Amino acid sequence: MIKFKWIKLFLIYLLAFVLQTTVGDWLQIFGVGPDFVVIFIVAVAIKYGPATGCFWGFFAGFAQDMYAPVEWLGAHSIAMTVLGFVVGQLEERFLTLNLPAKMAVLAIGFFVCDMIYFLLTGLQKDVVTNLFFSKTLPECAYTVVVGAVVFYLSAGKAGKKKHGV
Amino acid sequence: MFRAFRFIVDLFTQRHGIIAFVFFLLVGLLMRQAPNVVKENIVSSVLGTVLYPAQMALSSLNAYRSIVAENEQLKQENARLRQETYYASEGLQELTRLHALVRFDDKWGYPIVTARVVGHNPGRFLTTLIINRGTHHGVKENMPVFSMNGLVGKVTKVSYAYSRVQLLVDPNLKLSVLERRTRVVGFLESVDGRTLMAMVPTHAGVKAGDTLITSGLGGIFPKGIPVGTVKSVGQADLDVMRQMNVVPFQEFSSLEEVFVMEKEPDWIIRELLDD
Repeated sequence: MIKFKWIKLFLIYLLAFVLQTTVGDWLQIFGVGPDFVVIFIVAVAIKYGPATGCFWGFFAGFAQDMYAPVEWLGAHSIAMTVLGFVVGQLEERFLTLNLPAKMAVLAIGFFVCDMIYFLLTGLQKDVVTNLFFSKTLPECAYTVVVGAVVFYLSAGKAGKKKHGV
Repeated sequence: MFRAFRFIVDLFTQRHGIIAFVFFLLVGLLMRQAPNVVKENIVSSVLGTVLYPAQMALSSLNAYRSIVAENEQLKQENARLRQETYYASEGLQELTRLHALVRFDDKWGYPIVTARVVGHNPGRFLTTLIINRGTHHGVKENMPVFSMNGLVGKVTKVSYAYSRVQLLVDPNLKLSVLERRTRVVGFLESVDGRTLMAMVPTHAGVKAGDTLITSGLGGIFPKGIPVGTVKSVGQADLDVMRQMNVVPFQEFSSLEEVFVMEKEPDWIIRELLDD
């Protein structure tokens, strides 16, 4: 059973990766696009808890680190590990989150992840401020909208009842 | 095998994932603190063995999309051509493009390798591209990469059939540029991985709308490749230098085809790089 869970999660991660590099580009509006990988990490952490969340956070972050400037290696990994672990504290086994709550968690997680990333890369304060308003804020909003659709669809019929939508 | 896997999973999930969290955090911190040589090795080995082949497969999806678009375009073109008596306009366009490329080639006298973009970094900051040409096609590290519109970046990693291109917006790429009108030399960089900034001496009087080209002083890029246009001129920390926003001639996210100039760095730069 555990084996299938990991294979399933790997396939979903691959799907998120493919969406990010294909659909993510097509969905861009004025250079702003959704982050499917962050949605994946938040969804997995909520569903399976902190251990699974931080594993997939590290894995996804490491994959992104491969394409970032080599001096910043590890920054994505750490930021997304923290994201997976922190969001994993809200595991569905112990807590039931409705759709708006999941969207809020996604938004806060997105901010926290970006802030940790900016902190680790050592960018200057004015650059971070500029990036925050031009990149983090609009992309966070876009990601939350796309994330809401993903959460709604993944919840299925049971989710419809739970979310009362 | 399965028991061992189960044991590791159980160990990591104990104490509500704290062990896993600390472990991954430590690995991440170790990577952050590692010397650049070690980081380069990690990146090279992972990219070479896993990610390049995977991205190649992914790029076929994009290729499918472009084939559909191209097909639609060709249908329209075909309809137009049927109405025309001659095929001259199409041939003329082709000829113009080839003439431009030949002039580009002649200007510097280096052979040019045409390459297709097969992947880019999956993150939100586009700083690298992967092209389908490698050592097998004569591509080497630090060769300039450009498009018909202007400079794109340089080759940073080469494998047998693929190469990684560092774009101008990569914060680690700093470039010596020349303003075409005033002939003043400055340098170009990106501090945030998105926008390009140039630092040019204040006395030169560079203003918005001026054009930047490569100066040839860095030893990697030959002189005269168009880089971008000055969008706005700001104030730098030092009064002697002006900081200006630069819009590159080439939009990097829409690149499908690039040219690699088979120019190796000048000998002095090569020695510095070897050191």
